[in-house]
Amino acid sequence: MGVPSLIDRTRVAKPRRKLSADPYRRRYGDVRELIASRQNPTPLVRLNHVVPGGMEAYLKLEWMNPFGSVKDRTARFLLEGMRERGELDGRELVEATSGNTGIALAALAALEGIRLTVTIPSGVPEEKLVLLKMLGATVMPTPDELCPIDNPRDGAIALARAIAESPRNRGRYAMPNQYANPDNVRAHYETTGPEIWEQTDGRVRTFVAGYGTCGTLTGVGRFLKEQNPGIRVVAVEPQTGHRLPGLKNLEEAKAPAILDPSVVDEVIRVDDEPAYAMTRRLFREEGLIVGPSTGAIAHALATLDHEEAGLVVGISPDSGQKYASYFASLVEEGASR
Amino acid sequence: MSVLVADRELDCKGLLCPLPVYQTSQAIGKLGPGQVLKVECTDPGSLEDFPALARQRGLTLLSAEERDGMQVFYLRKEAA
Repeated sequence: MGVPSLIDRTRVAKPRRKLSADPYRRRYGDVRELIASRQNPTPLVRLNHVVPGGMEAYLKLEWMNPFGSVKDRTARFLLEGMRERGELDGRELVEATSGNTGIALAALAALEGIRLTVTIPSGVPEEKLVLLKMLGATVMPTPDELCPIDNPRDGAIALARAIAESPRNRGRYAMPNQYANPDNVRAHYETTGPEIWEQTDGRVRTFVAGYGTCGTLTGVGRFLKEQNPGIRVVAVEPQTGHRLPGLKNLEEAKAPAILDPSVVDEVIRVDDEPAYAMTRRLFREEGLIVGPSTGAIAHALATLDHEEAGLVVGISPDSGQKYASYFASLVEEGASR
Repeated sequence: MSVLVADRELDCKGLLCPLPVYQTSQAIGKLGPGQVLKVECTDPGSLEDFPALARQRGLTLLSAEERDGMQVFYLRKEAA
């Protein structure tokens, strides 16, 4: 007889079989599997109160992606493309971003043990800066007028490029460059566009998205027009000096290289005030906790003639969780109605 | 010719615009009033950038010289 065991083996549960990933039970092997794809699209939710009666309009809730925005798709495709081309080998990443691409890149880079430096325009909310730092990224806040000569309002982009291309840093950095990298367009051409087409059973007639990096506009616009050339693509542009993070006014910022103007049928300019007013309406009337760029897109969408527009899909790039500092003035005493 | 003495030095050799301007802006923040920063650059654009930076940030550009492909600047932070 051996040494008596202190454990009553009859009562020890057998080790459980390891759980494997099972998307039907929403069980995943890795957070990256949650990034939207044709098999796992982000939801389309109908707008019932903030658009004219009779209009069939939906927002595509891109903030249901795991890192919280439409940029999860972009970041995944950017990194995959760089890896395939051998650009990542042993290098650090540097990228200019108003926050969401940085957050998605930082999460993916952290998973892969890659260091990331983010140059970020001044005025980006503190919430995003802290998220980036929580994910381990090095953050360089950049005034837009950094180059005293060029004054291009694109200081963050110029700084990221200088970090990547300076002779002293040779071979150290790789820059995804979401503004010029065709993989940004491909992300939306291969996922967002087909999702919208399939989710609307091919009935979509108008697509609305913002001028930002223009990856969504170009990729989705191109895909949808290939399915049906009659689909109208509407771009939303903020005014100069706006406070709508993620959106770009193409007079004060350079048009991104990946913008294909031939897919844009119409540009709607939106002021900050109606954009924020619509953001608050989306919170209060639709129960949608969205960021300010969604407010701008929904405002533009609601101004369309509903018979001409047909079924409308607008992009909701991110949620309102990161914008407390932007919304504070909307809910101050006396401003809450 | 008086000899300029720097309280701090910044090496921006091998860095492209706007990195030298960015790093200089950061370094100026750490200077006390009246202190002098010496910056060495190799990006020819800095010959235009630094006078503009000085105007923008209220600094005195004591000297700007180029020799052997290197630009050397002396900037003094004035009292606020």
